[in-house]
Amino acid sequence: MDRGLYRRRILRNRFHMTMAVATAVFGLTWLVLILAMLLIKGIAGLNLAVFTEMTPPPGSSGGLLNAIVGSLILTTLGVLIGTPIAILAGTYMAEYGRHSKLTDVVRFINDILLSAPSIVIGLFVYGIMVRPMGYFSGIAGSVALAILVVPVVVRTTEDMLLLVPSQMREAAAALGAPRWHVIRYVSYRAAKTGIITGILLAIARISGETAPLLFTALNNQFWSTSLLAPMPSLPVVIFQFALSPYEDWQRLAWTGALLITIAVLTLSIVARLLSSKRTV
Amino acid sequence: MVELTFDPAEARAAEKPQDPRRASLGRLILTDRFFKLLTRAAAAFVLLILFGVIFTLVEGSIPALREFGPGFVWTEDWNPVKERFGALAPIYGTLVTSIIAMLVAVPIGLGIAIFLTELCPIWLRRPIGTAIELLAGIPSIIYGIWGLFIFAPFLQQYVQPFLISTLGNVPGIGWLFAGPPYGIGILTAGLILAIMVLPFIASITRDVFETVPPVLKESAYGLGATTWEVVWKVVLPYTRAGVIGGIMLALGRALGETMAVTFIIGNAHRISGSILQPGTTISASIANEFVEALQVLHTSSLMSLGLILFVITFIVLAAARLLLASLNKRAGG
Amino acid sequence: MANFAVHASADSLSNAKPKMDIKDLSFFYGDNKALKDITLPLFEKRVTALIGPSGCGKSTLLRILNRIYELYPGQRAEGTVMLDGENILDPKLDANYLRSKVGMVFQKPTPFPMTIYDNIAFGVKLYQKPSRAEMDAIVESSLVRTALWGEVKDRLHTSALGLSGGQQQRLCIARTVAVKPEVVLFDEPTSALDPISTAKIEELIDELKRDFTIVIVTHNMQQAARVADLTAFMYLGDLIEAGPTTTMFSTPKDNRTLDYITGRFG
Repeated sequence: MDRGLYRRRILRNRFHMTMAVATAVFGLTWLVLILAMLLIKGIAGLNLAVFTEMTPPPGSSGGLLNAIVGSLILTTLGVLIGTPIAILAGTYMAEYGRHSKLTDVVRFINDILLSAPSIVIGLFVYGIMVRPMGYFSGIAGSVALAILVVPVVVRTTEDMLLLVPSQMREAAAALGAPRWHVIRYVSYRAAKTGIITGILLAIARISGETAPLLFTALNNQFWSTSLLAPMPSLPVVIFQFALSPYEDWQRLAWTGALLITIAVLTLSIVARLLSSKRTV
Repeated sequence: MVELTFDPAEARAAEKPQDPRRASLGRLILTDRFFKLLTRAAAAFVLLILFGVIFTLVEGSIPALREFGPGFVWTEDWNPVKERFGALAPIYGTLVTSIIAMLVAVPIGLGIAIFLTELCPIWLRRPIGTAIELLAGIPSIIYGIWGLFIFAPFLQQYVQPFLISTLGNVPGIGWLFAGPPYGIGILTAGLILAIMVLPFIASITRDVFETVPPVLKESAYGLGATTWEVVWKVVLPYTRAGVIGGIMLALGRALGETMAVTFIIGNAHRISGSILQPGTTISASIANEFVEALQVLHTSSLMSLGLILFVITFIVLAAARLLLASLNKRAGG
Repeated sequence: MANFAVHASADSLSNAKPKMDIKDLSFFYGDNKALKDITLPLFEKRVTALIGPSGCGKSTLLRILNRIYELYPGQRAEGTVMLDGENILDPKLDANYLRSKVGMVFQKPTPFPMTIYDNIAFGVKLYQKPSRAEMDAIVESSLVRTALWGEVKDRLHTSALGLSGGQQQRLCIARTVAVKPEVVLFDEPTSALDPISTAKIEELIDELKRDFTIVIVTHNMQQAARVADLTAFMYLGDLIEAGPTTTMFSTPKDNRTLDYITGRFG
């Protein structure tokens, strides 16, 4: 046995493993730092006014109420528009069209849309809604978010329905149930938790999205719940306030960022808990 | 699947009065057909989104492309006042920031994945793995605001002066680190992108590493291989397609990322040799200027930028998906 | 070609008339011919067992009788299977309707992810519009028939997934008979169950044949001997022979049948 070679191998191993640990610690440190700063800066600006007052003009104090409400409206509507289409599409892919060519094509395209730049979706909705209508609007923002919801939910719906054992479908079909009844009463029930998880992840994804709202919903400094007018949202307000020279605005931006992060993390954690305890 | 051929008239003709079940049949089958059509339409709608995006971007780009021709792509000018627009600076910024991000994030991401699959104590694997996955879901605007207020000043004060006084004097690469420390700029944007895609790369490569059959690793260990040799000679070759696919997926994200970059790129439409200088990217240009663009040509040029970005990311993502699909096929047997 | 001349002299077969009639039936998975010109009558209110080594096509044959194979692409049947004067392979005959007349119980218990009550109501509601009280009665009578009523009557509205394996299988039988089919197909219904549950299911099959025509696929020859009036032996996609169960197990005509029932292969 060549002792020198053995020693070299051991040393090389030790070196690379040390590097792996070091990179892991290094990488995780940055991520921890981001969260830590976010907490410190965000909590500093957290007070009741954030939830009760409108976004202020420069130089005065205020809150984020209109932005929070706007975000809630935009997100809810985005999910309401996007989810039904996505669930139906995922249903086609896993059930009626499981072996069809269309399914393969849709799956490929959907996967690409899943990670396509969201700013491009903003341009798209600007082109099909804002320009023809002539003004920025909450509804345009919702549609942009809906388009981001679709690929996420399509993907999870298909995956979850494919997990439903085929014996279950056979058993339902053997009672004389047409495919739709099999899907609605058996497949959907069996895949329910998984599909809900997908929807939660989609909500998490869009609740922090900024780019597609910049030129669809735009922003609104005032209280506005009209879907046909520009609508404020937390991410866009953060963007605007953070880049401003005013300290009040910057503080609100940090607080808004904290709120969004808490919302997103909560949604992801709930989604995780749901999918880990798979019960019917 | 056998197509349902149902003709109500025929069914009525065949109807046997003694079996009431036949009566329910028409309703059942029509509902089923309706939903089959509905779901198929929804699936086709996903394709429609893609075509809609392409069509809108192409249509919006026409004025600019007609005015500037293909030269749009390699012209550096970007002057709204003179209405001269060229895409070179944003394309350059997009590519350079993404390259920096990949150079930093890939080795670290792989390191994290190796750590998680081979070294980490079992009880820590799940918490760290979950934390990384959660971080991958944090909105990019968070990275942006952190980059602007914390990271850029930090770089400006400590890192960039150091880079300028050391690497800046090295012949050959010194020009990369020339100029005053702005804090914001190409390098900062690239580093923020790196931090942003890091959890993504780490979690996807970890998933890919876990597809390696334990038998394969065990037999290598059985031959006396060290952990590093197992990773380098068994795990990585086995998962090559998946790892590259994952990295390209991350690259697709970095290329198209808007908010994390827009805060800290400096938004300067020019190409400087030094990566410490401000620049711009495609998505940052669009985010910053689109709403304020007044002339048709300006808007159209931004649309053209969007089209270019979409084409680039489409190619990268399609390649990534094909690589990952080939891996899934093998894992599925 | 199989000899299916069934001797009507056998006690269990007196007065029996065919409920389903399989003629020259072939089946293809893509280009692969899995069944070769099967001809076999299935007698009304009798139990017919399909036996044979795995891969012989017995399950395939069963899955043709309710056209469940149509759920998957690339599978095709040729020939005729008559049920009450109709060829069930005729594409004009709706498969869903056929399946409401020809029920099926599967190898593994497959309770739906819903309550015990809803498991039974699901199939019933497809083709009938019973009132709440009528539905309650249907649920009760199906559970009584499958000897499950006593065990579950206090938890009808809890998830069916909480039942034991044997109970789940009996629930599956209950929801099948609740639809009032004419033929019930059993695809190795006890292979996933313990001996006690198996005995209960076998008793049940014996009970059910008063009202239904039953076809059972089993790899357990003792089971075939216990429950079946007629037995058909299949081998490599061919029907080798069929006849009264007692004859089949005492004096088979074909050597392959003899080899199989004496355990020389399979």
